[in-house]
Amino acid sequence: MNVQFKKGVLELCVLVVLCRRDYYGYELVHTISENIDIAEGTIYPLLRRLTKEGYFTTYLRESEEGPSRKYYQITEKGQTYKEQLLSEWNHFVSSVHNLIREEESA
Amino acid sequence: MNKEQFLSQLKRSLSGIPEQEKKEILYDYEEHFRSGLENGQEEEEIARSLGNPRVLGKSYRIESLLDKERGGNRASNIIRAVLASLSLGFLNVIITVPLFSGLFAGLVSLWAGAVSLALSGVAVIAGLILQPLFPASIGLGGVSIPFLIFAGIGTGALGLLSVIGMWKLSQLFFRMTAKYVQFNVRIIKKQEVKS
Repeated sequence: MNVQFKKGVLELCVLVVLCRRDYYGYELVHTISENIDIAEGTIYPLLRRLTKEGYFTTYLRESEEGPSRKYYQITEKGQTYKEQLLSEWNHFVSSVHNLIREEESA
Repeated sequence: MNKEQFLSQLKRSLSGIPEQEKKEILYDYEEHFRSGLENGQEEEEIARSLGNPRVLGKSYRIESLLDKERGGNRASNIIRAVLASLSLGFLNVIITVPLFSGLFAGLVSLWAGAVSLALSGVAVIAGLILQPLFPASIGLGGVSIPFLIFAGIGTGALGLLSVIGMWKLSQLFFRMTAKYVQFNVRIIKKQEVKS
């Protein structure tokens, strides 16, 4: 798949996953890379940008193993943004589906 | 590539990014390695799945440049807003303020006219009523009483109409003033929003 396209979708994936609950970096990266084949490191620049834009906040919490972990939490602004991206995505997917079906039946 | 190599390559490719930010970025990957090791992964394996540190560094650098760009725009936007309000200020001082003062003075004098017209009507009627009680102080000036009654009522009614008209005119005037102020605010705001 095209890299730029993947990056755009990745943004939506991160938002969707963080809507469920708060994740720390490694855990979030794993959840996503289990489903999508991508260089795992690219999620951190994305997280940083989305945090800067106010879609996430971060906090540190001690883990059972000892050192603290940085957790990401979605903000209200982030949820609104997710809804917007999601509806754009759904619209896009259904348009592509329609096109494919029309071509096949033609 | 092990953890040490990955982090040092990433650090090198983050050149130009402020020191504090660099630390924060590196922290994310350090924590990632730590969590991976806790999960039983090898350093090499973790580094491989993270991808090329130079490519990652580049995406941080691009983001940082874009940030600066946005920051720069914000500054020039403030300057533009200031210029807009200054030129608006000039327009206001040269044209709007004199026009406003003139119109306001006109409005006040028309009000005075309307009120005195109404009051003189009332005064004529009052004079007619009080004349029998104070014949020494109030003279009719040789004009017939029916004429004075009509003149009094006519003048009073005309005055009342003028007052009502002035009320409407004043409302219009203040609405227009409010609109003009809003227009000023909008222009200044528009310059700020462009950031």
